[in-house]
Amino acid sequence: MNRRGFIAGTGAALGLPGIVRAEAAFRLGLTPVFLDNDAAVIDRLRTALSASMAAPVELIQRRTYQEITATILDGSVDAAWICGYPFLQHRDRLTLLGVPVWRGQPRYQSYLIVRRDDPATGLADLRGHVHAFSDPDSNSGYLVTASDLARMGTGPEQFLSRSVFTYGHRNVVRAVAGGLTRSGSVDGYVWETLARVEPALTRGTRIVTRSEWLGFPPFAARADRAAEARVVRFGQALQGLDASPAGRAALDLLLLDRVEAGDVTLFDGIAARMAEIAGG
Amino acid sequence: MLARLGTWPITLRVALATAALMVLLGMAASQQVLSTLGRLQDARLQEYARLHVEGLAVALGPFTLHKDVWEVYDTLDRAQADAAGGRILFTVVADDRGQVLAATDPARAPVDSPVEDFARDARPTSDVTAGNGDTVVRVKAPLTMQGREVGQIVTELDVRDLVAQRRTAALALLAGNAAVTLILALAGYLVVARMLKPVELLAHHMGEAGGRPHPIPEAAFPRTDSVLARLLRNFNGMAGAIDARAEAERRLAERERFVSLGRLSSSLAHEINNPLGGLLNATDTIRAYADRPEVVRQSADLVDRGLRHLRDVSRVILEEKRMDRSGRLLSAADFEDLRLLFEPETTRRGQQLDWRIEVADCGGLPSAPVRQIALNLLLNAASAAPEGGFVGFRCHETAEGLEIVVSDTGPGLSGSARARLMSEAPAEPGGGVGLRLVRDLVGGLGGDIAHDGSEGRTDIIIVLPAKGARTC
Repeated sequence: MNRRGFIAGTGAALGLPGIVRAEAAFRLGLTPVFLDNDAAVIDRLRTALSASMAAPVELIQRRTYQEITATILDGSVDAAWICGYPFLQHRDRLTLLGVPVWRGQPRYQSYLIVRRDDPATGLADLRGHVHAFSDPDSNSGYLVTASDLARMGTGPEQFLSRSVFTYGHRNVVRAVAGGLTRSGSVDGYVWETLARVEPALTRGTRIVTRSEWLGFPPFAARADRAAEARVVRFGQALQGLDASPAGRAALDLLLLDRVEAGDVTLFDGIAARMAEIAGG
Repeated sequence: MLARLGTWPITLRVALATAALMVLLGMAASQQVLSTLGRLQDARLQEYARLHVEGLAVALGPFTLHKDVWEVYDTLDRAQADAAGGRILFTVVADDRGQVLAATDPARAPVDSPVEDFARDARPTSDVTAGNGDTVVRVKAPLTMQGREVGQIVTELDVRDLVAQRRTAALALLAGNAAVTLILALAGYLVVARMLKPVELLAHHMGEAGGRPHPIPEAAFPRTDSVLARLLRNFNGMAGAIDARAEAERRLAERERFVSLGRLSSSLAHEINNPLGGLLNATDTIRAYADRPEVVRQSADLVDRGLRHLRDVSRVILEEKRMDRSGRLLSAADFEDLRLLFEPETTRRGQQLDWRIEVADCGGLPSAPVRQIALNLLLNAASAAPEGGFVGFRCHETAEGLEIVVSDTGPGLSGSARARLMSEAPAEPGGGVGLRLVRDLVGGLGGDIAHDGSEGRTDIIIVLPAKGARTC
């Protein structure tokens, strides 16, 4: 019996009707993409999902991808919006609940950015400098650049003077724009969204290179709980978000089209890059 | 300059002294105010720096320990954005090796650059001051975690407002003090000028150019200050007394001439009486021998000589009586007149008169005072010399001017007589005024009196400086 089941059962035994009737909230873990500090977006998403599921949804945020991955694996959360990289890292234990569609496709790119006035034209120009990564478990914020370096026969430790992990794509943009690091690896979706909602921040940066299109960070749940009614209902709620006004409003804030069922083959590109690192 | 300062009017000197004292007071007070302001500002600045650094130190300690560049930067960046007043210009955090972890402006302090460039002239929070005139001050503090120093923090604080505040305060004090000093100096000048007005009035009426004091009109007395009014009233009384004394002296001198003549009157009566017997005999002779022309002619000659002598005596007496002080200059005739007046006195007393006039130039001296001086001294000598004694009168020229020496074989000048003649000491009553008048007249002519008594002979020597060349 899990904790909520225990509380519910105990409540029933003690004759506490309020607690019995209140269904335990569905806990959704969030990685700190760009929305980690936007309370309005989080609240709108929670409201929309709660309405779609007809059950309360609680959004859980952690600082690092690793922490969120751990919470989903240990059952602390029922599902999580994670990155394709950790999804593939734990592919055997996770199941796909949906993939957001951005600008018509469930894919995004990783951007290599520098300060606006920096003359760099490619990754090779950044040798010996300080570089900002988002998270060591982020595809766009680490894996893409690390695998690019692997293709160049080197790695971040050797190629860069120092790697700074900011644990947030928005922070990568801040680090580069503020001059803390010369360059950064950032989620293309986050950068483009920031360019819309916080143009002053992205204006201080310049995109040097864009990666190939890769699978958009998916919603995932533990594979062994995929058949649970709550999880199934959550998957349906996600994929039906665009059907309700509240869901539509949340998607609009996130600048996403909808959430589709998706397919693990979407992440083949990421898998290939993972293989390059492992091979390197 | 300082010597000239002493000649400035007292009103101006008091005003300047007031201004100088006010300037000193103003400087001392301003220094005190600025010093207090500086202390308050520094205390505020130190408190601000301490709170800022301590606040950051708490937040940054763990990140610095783990050398988490991003978290240090993020904390600094947010602290900078949240800082009120914009006093924090720049903050840099370094690890325990002195290498920069992050700064609010990474362009100035790149990651891994040495922090020493910034820490070199930074001060601990307890020492930071805005009193050096710098608009930016640097503060440094160690970052500690559980008693272990894990890095350091250097912050640049903008103290432009504090420096400007000090400058504004200094200028305000300067302007205020200058205005107050000016006002007080002016007020001091006016007050002192008003207070000293009666004193200046007094000085003016005392005869600044050596003139005689003259009374102050009652209308000019201060109404409010009874002490000063009493002083001025006393001064008026004094001025009146001086005038009265001068008038008395003038009358005394006038009278002295008659006194001298009075003293000579019996001698002069003889001078007139003696020829009268001869003249009457001559007229009897003319009557008796009217038919003898040679007898009549001899008698007429005798009458003529006698009458001429009488005429001369009368003229001298009248001359002496009429003599005034603004009259003519001294001439040889004056000495002849003196002799004519005085000689009968020595004749009466059987005294030998040695009369020597050895002057060609009378020095442009006035006649009346010299005659009075000589006559008084001669009468004094005749009185002093015994019957059948000796009286000498000698007048001759010296390098200093005209020297008159009156000698006698008397017992010499008594103490009181000498005091009257030789000193300014008040004359004792009852001693006569002849000798004191001699002293005053000689003083008036700018001359000197000397006294020489030896071998039974007393010499009074008068030296009168010449006023100009004039033949006697």
